[in-house]
Amino acid sequence: MAFKDLRQFITALEKTGDVVKIKQEVDWDLELGAIGRRAYELSQPAQWFQKIRDYPPEYTIFNGSLGTWRRLSIALGLPPETPIRELYAEYDRREQKPVKPVVVKTGGCKENIRVGDKVDLYQLPTPMLHEGDGGRYLGTWDVVVSKDPETGWSNWGMYRFMIHDKTTLTGYPAPFSHLAMMLSRRYIPKKQPMPIAIAIGCEPLCHMVATAGYGINVDEADYAGALGQAPVELVKCETSDLLVPAHSEIVIEGEIAPDKTAPEGPFGEYPGYRSGQTGGGLLCQVKAITYRTNPIMTVIALGVPPDDSSIAASLTAGLAMKRRLVRHNIPVTDVYVPPEGVTHLIVVGVKKGGADVARQIIEIFTARRAMTSKVIVVDEDVDPFNMAEVLHAFAVKCHPGKGIHVTTFEGRANALTPCYSPEERRKLSGAGVAFDATWPLDWDPNTDVPVKSSFTGTFSKETQEKVIKNWKKYGFK
Amino acid sequence: MKKEYVTFVRDFKSLPQGKEIEITIRDLTPGPRKYDAKIVKAVVSEDPARMPEGDLLWLRSATGVLSAKPWAIQVKGEVKGFLNLPPYSSLLRT
Ligand SMILES: Cc1cc2nc3c(=O)[nH]c(=O)nc-3n(C[C@H](O)[C@H](O)[C@H](O)COP(=O)(O)O)c2cc1C
Ligand SMILES: [Mn+2]
Repeated sequence: MAFKDLRQFITALEKTGDVVKIKQEVDWDLELGAIGRRAYELSQPAQWFQKIRDYPPEYTIFNGSLGTWRRLSIALGLPPETPIRELYAEYDRREQKPVKPVVVKTGGCKENIRVGDKVDLYQLPTPMLHEGDGGRYLGTWDVVVSKDPETGWSNWGMYRFMIHDKTTLTGYPAPFSHLAMMLSRRYIPKKQPMPIAIAIGCEPLCHMVATAGYGINVDEADYAGALGQAPVELVKCETSDLLVPAHSEIVIEGEIAPDKTAPEGPFGEYPGYRSGQTGGGLLCQVKAITYRTNPIMTVIALGVPPDDSSIAASLTAGLAMKRRLVRHNIPVTDVYVPPEGVTHLIVVGVKKGGADVARQIIEIFTARRAMTSKVIVVDEDVDPFNMAEVLHAFAVKCHPGKGIHVTTFEGRANALTPCYSPEERRKLSGAGVAFDATWPLDWDPNTDVPVKSSFTGTFSKETQEKVIKNWKKYGFK
Repeated sequence: MKKEYVTFVRDFKSLPQGKEIEITIRDLTPGPRKYDAKIVKAVVSEDPARMPEGDLLWLRSATGVLSAKPWAIQVKGEVKGFLNLPPYSSLLRT
């Protein structure tokens, strides 16, 4: 791994000036969330809060692990200024070689162990992140571990969990998440509680893979190993046989009740709105809390982009979507998920466009869970990673009458998409649209396709080379 | 000093007043245990003047928007345990 644990990562951020240590006392009740939000919105460093109101100074909070491309580059052990296109490429390369984790006897997360009646969630300085949230979210930047008892599949997902009372959490792994799938297949029919572990304050790539949509039966830990190019060290839980990252700052061990619930949500969510509602969450009865001495709680003051969620998802969703298009034989060159579009807006570059390809792309993206709703398809002359070029292509190449392809569906829309009506949310009905910013295939390149009036589009190779060669002589830097 | 609580409801108007109901409330007493939830048997009223002995109950809508004024609540007793409903149930009174 580039880093063994969160502390090494924070040290690296200190060296590059990508974290501020906040010594002044900060209120866990909204002030911390407001600071985190403003810091994202002003592209500021991550924050390590050293003194939390009502709590002893040993308990600190870290917000914003991967909230900028710089911090994401550092987490991967790359130079902070690595261009986005290179980050995508390097991530793609590393993901080709999964690395199995190793099980170790003990680790930092076992330095302090509170089991049974020693459990008190209020021992931790869990923030109330946004005004209007359903409660204090302890699980925001977390890794939630669950296991399929029949196949041994060990899933890691990042899901929100809030405090209900001293020993109870409620959470919202969505019904289509892998955790919910295991619960409904293996535990609810038998009316058995399902063990889970919520790891907080892991090395950042563990969190990163927990946000990514890998397939069923895939252990995300293998991909944390792939990205870090070294096996992740795991250690067994105190109250179950689940394995958690050994160097986690905090581990909450609990059981999801198969037949009980309590209120959960709403929460200031990743599309940048508090777009959900309070409802019956998964109820988790906490059996043990284990933690490093002087535990650092990771959080994300989630909201409008960019933040850790939209930056991490840009990469993970972008690569996953490109692979999906390749499998469907779409002549894709690149997929870029601009963080500003919070995985709702996707840019797809193709070798050969046209209406059919645009329509196929939006059908593929909305075929199962339709988390995405808008796609801009661009020709090869546009760099999908350059939003100024994409916007220009959209403005002038997308035909307002013929270039917009809408598809509608029921039962699989994204319930958190802000533009959906309350009724659409209830029915999970929604729509997707492809904006075709490519030239129609039946246009004759000699007579119909307008020639792009740009340096590379209008001038001969010789003229371009001459100009580039003499660029400094003209007086440019 | 009156205690203060908050609860989430779909429609402020539909919360039954003047009779005993079961409701999940969160304790707003400042300190490390603020927002602790419990299920209670209680009577509520939209007019605190009509329930002088009651505590204050702030309402938030299902989407988290705070009511302009607090209601009153008289807690009759705590209900141990949780709601015996499957996960993902819609919990709100309609
Ligand atoms: C900050 C953050 C919070 C998230 N919270 C949730 C959540 O509460 N519920 C959920 O289903 N997905 C949530 N997600 C998305 C999941 O992490 C993502 O879908 C992941 O693929 C889940 O793992 P799984 O595919 O193994 O189910 C969140 C993502 C981020 C970045
Ligand atoms: Mn998974």
